Amino acid sequence: MSTSLPEQRPSGAWPRIRAWIDGGGLLDRRAVIVVLLAVLIVVMVVLDVAGVTTAPLTTDYFAASLINIVPLALLAIAELFVITTGDGSIDLSVGSMVSLVGMVFGILYGTQKWDFAAAAVVALLVGALLGWINGFLTAYFRYPALITTLATYYAYASIALVITNASPISGPRIQELYGAAQSVELPLIGAYVPLVPLGVFTFLLPVAVIAWLVLNRTTYGRQLYAIGTNSTAASWAGINTRRSQLLAFVISGVISALVAIYTVAQFASARPDAGTSGPGMALPAITIAVLGGVAITGGVGRIGGVLLAALLIVWMNASILIVVPGNAGSQLQFLALAVVLLGASLVDVTNSRSRRARARQSTSAGGAGGVAEMADSAASRAE
Amino acid sequence: MTSQRLQMRDISKRYGGVHAIRHADLEIGPGTVMALVGENGAGKSTLIKILAGAEHADTGSIAIDGEEVRIASTADAIALGIQTVYQEPHLFQDLSVAENFFVGREITRGPVIDWRAQAPRMFDLLDLVGLDRRVAALPVRYLSIAQQQQVSIAKALLEDARILILDEPSAILTQSEIDVLFNVVRRLAGEGVSIIYISHRLDELFQIADEVTVMRDGQTVSSDPIGTLSVREIAERMVGGALTEGVRTTTTSGDAMLELEGLTLDGAFADVTFDVHRGEIVGLYGLVGAGAADVGDVVYGMRRPTSGVIRVAGDGRPLRSPMRAKSRGVRMLPANRSSQGIFSFQSIAFNITIGSLRLLSRLPGWVSQRSERETANRLITRLAVKTPSMRQPVSAMSGGNAQKVVLARQLVERPGLLVLAEPTQGVDVGAKEEIHQIISDLADAGTAVLVITTDLTEVLRISDRIIVFRSGKVAAQLAPTATQAEVLAVAAGHRDDEEGAA
Amino acid sequence: MTSRTDSAPATVSLRRILPPAVTGQEVVLVGVIAVLWVLLGIFTPSFLSPASVGPLLVNVAPVALIGIGMTFVIITGGIDVSVAGMAMVCAVVTARLLVSVEIPLIVALLVSVVIGGILGSVNGFLVAYARVHPIIITFGTWNLFLYIGYRTFNSSTVNGIPSTFDVFGKGAAGTTLGVPNAFAIVVALVAAAWWFLRYTRAGRNLFAIGGNAEAARLTGIAVRPRLVWVYVITGVMVGVAACVMLASGTSSLDQSVGNGKELEVIAAVVIGGTSIMGGRGSVVGTLLGALLVQTVSVGVIQLGWPSQLSRLFVGVFIIIAVGADILRERARRRSGRMS
Repeated sequence: MSTSLPEQRPSGAWPRIRAWIDGGGLLDRRAVIVVLLAVLIVVMVVLDVAGVTTAPLTTDYFAASLINIVPLALLAIAELFVITTGDGSIDLSVGSMVSLVGMVFGILYGTQKWDFAAAAVVALLVGALLGWINGFLTAYFRYPALITTLATYYAYASIALVITNASPISGPRIQELYGAAQSVELPLIGAYVPLVPLGVFTFLLPVAVIAWLVLNRTTYGRQLYAIGTNSTAASWAGINTRRSQLLAFVISGVISALVAIYTVAQFASARPDAGTSGPGMALPAITIAVLGGVAITGGVGRIGGVLLAALLIVWMNASILIVVPGNAGSQLQFLALAVVLLGASLVDVTNSRSRRARARQSTSAGGAGGVAEMADSAASRAE
Repeated sequence: MTSQRLQMRDISKRYGGVHAIRHADLEIGPGTVMALVGENGAGKSTLIKILAGAEHADTGSIAIDGEEVRIASTADAIALGIQTVYQEPHLFQDLSVAENFFVGREITRGPVIDWRAQAPRMFDLLDLVGLDRRVAALPVRYLSIAQQQQVSIAKALLEDARILILDEPSAILTQSEIDVLFNVVRRLAGEGVSIIYISHRLDELFQIADEVTVMRDGQTVSSDPIGTLSVREIAERMVGGALTEGVRTTTTSGDAMLELEGLTLDGAFADVTFDVHRGEIVGLYGLVGAGAADVGDVVYGMRRPTSGVIRVAGDGRPLRSPMRAKSRGVRMLPANRSSQGIFSFQSIAFNITIGSLRLLSRLPGWVSQRSERETANRLITRLAVKTPSMRQPVSAMSGGNAQKVVLARQLVERPGLLVLAEPTQGVDVGAKEEIHQIISDLADAGTAVLVITTDLTEVLRISDRIIVFRSGKVAAQLAPTATQAEVLAVAAGHRDDEEGAA
Repeated sequence: MTSRTDSAPATVSLRRILPPAVTGQEVVLVGVIAVLWVLLGIFTPSFLSPASVGPLLVNVAPVALIGIGMTFVIITGGIDVSVAGMAMVCAVVTARLLVSVEIPLIVALLVSVVIGGILGSVNGFLVAYARVHPIIITFGTWNLFLYIGYRTFNSSTVNGIPSTFDVFGKGAAGTTLGVPNAFAIVVALVAAAWWFLRYTRAGRNLFAIGGNAEAARLTGIAVRPRLVWVYVITGVMVGVAACVMLASGTSSLDQSVGNGKELEVIAAVVIGGTSIMGGRGSVVGTLLGALLVQTVSVGVIQLGWPSQLSRLFVGVFIIIAVGADILRERARRRSGRMS
């Protein structure tokens, strides 16, 4: 049948993005980030030699700056799981979950003097429960994820404040944790390598490795990518899409719980606004995830890209501070983030457009009904 | 003698090296309902696209009311009074009926939409198509598909239409809705509108059309008043005398793998009873909307039947989901490859193995890379998928290759029952042959195969037995030695037409 | 030729053509707000006094104003998370200007609005012409606006802001005939926006764009310029809102201005019945949503409950309101058939 009009679509922006992703538009993101990192290092070295930097450019400094990467990268990984399930999935509540679980942990470990392991396990379970609520409302009640997590963002933040009447929990036991987040010398090779924050090894790397394994080596990971790429086809292939999406939110909750524990250690106190002060933790995490190659429409996203993006941003911020110290520097960080995010997104679009054009030229004419042409024509109709 | 409303003469159109239409003619008088029939690929769609301005003819001329015209764009066609209504109503679901009428061409006084000026015309048209005027304020989403189609037709008439093209309008309608549609068509014809009515449902044509033009292989075979022909004769002209060579040489069959008894799905099909045995290929043929496609959905657990029994390998427990169906050895190739089958930007290996993840390693929940590679390689070889690497994304593949990938997914484990919906739609001829051979070999190896298709040649080629659906019921069972015309006549023919009986 | 029948009515009743003027969600919200006010009036008699209701209405103003723009944006299928950044820039630039130069209210308002409009146009052009999702674009521009805002603050607070904007404030100067001016302006602008969305071609076309942008383009609607406009309008509304925020604050302005506004606004919009998928929405609903959220916040305090509980209620209300909206749509779809 001939139809010269496009098919009915639920909203205007998502399918446009899908169309250019179909051309493999995001596969180059890691390369882009590696290039940016290289550029950054080169620029910094040049500035250092030129004497423009206000503090010495040492590897110790950059290693120490990694203390900020832990919560950022972890939450970005959480967002990767959620956003990759597709259909507008997103988690705005991670900051509030961090706050709330942080308070629970603070109460159990600090006030009630529980064992660290016991308190940590309960904290993780609470995180899982909070994530489960998000997942249940989104996957089974079919609320849009933006709305569910907006609501729980408010709800969880509120509960965090209420249970201790807005006062942080500190105390000697919690203060002892402070060391857990600080920089340490690595065993064996420690003398030759800069001091790296312990949290990178105790929190970030294990989670990153496990997340990578889950995404790339488990059936669940495959199901996740399948649902995000095409949830209808996933149902046809026999995947339980609802359960998988629910699990992604639970994972997000568990990771948020880990970040909560880390944050308590990092600041030596459990603050009820830990995750919700300022711009919050969700939006920077989502920004890092998107920068790292996670497609907002789902189905695409790699741990490597997210880690690289977090590294880029953390080091970029650290670099800015030694070139332009103080408040002027921290202001510049916002500009840099805007430029990097917008730049990377726009580069992708032009990149995939030219790739599609090249593909069109090389595809032979006999592919009527071929998938490439469908994606192609969908994309060009959208132009 | 009044000149004809429309005269298309000697129209030809090539796509690349292939002629889509050759020397096609079409003539319609004012107030006439002309049925345009032909198999998929016969050229109807292309001819209509040329008339609607969506395509340009390579040769030939078009004259309207005796004057030769050039239709260079859809705007030209609309300006000439040619309107097209497609099968799927393309309306904005959240806008009201009234707004859908005028969107993009509103009459305004300053910034404000002038409903006083616009509305009367719309109400007239709603009356004409038989819709209650109260629907004007309703969001289109709240109307049934049939009502939405009526809106589409009314909308098409907004700019005075002299020629109205209706593309398979009855495919999605119930019988009473079809009656309403026919009333509308008759009324319009009475007002002098020329109507081109494209349909596969040959029996309906006798109720609504004045003349019928048959196309086959890109040419107009004949054009006659409908009273001079029978359903069978039309069918024969549509398919020619072609005999289909079957692929099946040996047919041995074993136990019944699938048994359907009195299976009913409200709104789709009723009282369906047949079985499929190991080693045999049963072809289910029916026009779009006849209900054949829905049978597959139910057997695979995608939809739950209203009543009736499904037994897979003797087990009659309900199939609640595709996961359950798969655990009983049922696999299904979905009808719509792009929306239901492929994961477009994932690799071929991903696409092949996604349906059988638990097989890929001995550890539960784990995916072994090597196992995945081996499985993918095995199937790529077996199905002759053309690709430089299994890591290539499926989006870059041709239709035939992509279809093989989705088929491969179903064959990772040998299925007890394989259901294939439209297995070679959008697939080139070479791959089509290969896929048919694969299916045949599967059956020979013991799998029970159910092929659900609207491709007449395919069903005759590949099946050991053909079950013809019409209007949600099993109309007949035919042998693969039947002619295309016989099958088509049953599927498209009138219930009381004696030639339709098996 | 299709001929006309002869039954064209003498007058065309718009009631039979356009959707009902009031949506179901709006009715429900009015009911809920009314119930809450009555209950609060009973349990805390001071609630229904002008001294309490006045400031409540003024606090509603910024969220409702920005909400008008956000409603337009969401109707077109987009979103704008940069409004907090825009608010900061408009507020700080206007405040600095007021501190250094003596300018009349109108000029100050104009400055704020123009800045907002310019910032909004950055969003608009990027969303309309780059094929990147609005949420990513506005994440980026949000950071950009924060940079501009923080730079303008230059790590200090702006002190000594004159009382130019008091006419929008909570004090006596801000009230006319018992009604806070800021709220009156909100109602006027909401009414104008409602009229725009219901009766003008440009307004109705926004719904078409949100329903199916590609099909809208094919019917001849100029999609891209319209998209630019809705983000510009959002910026303009932020400019007005910034003035109200300046008025409601003290004579000092610090960097936290605008913090969290984007989520508050989105909450008001979704509670009001606008669909996050686009194609369907109501500015009156947004106003009511903002009113509901503010009522909850004030109510919690007046009842003596921990003030932090208000956010919990907001979260619960979002779930209930959106859930009700979804259910209502599903029910209407099933039973809306006409013979």
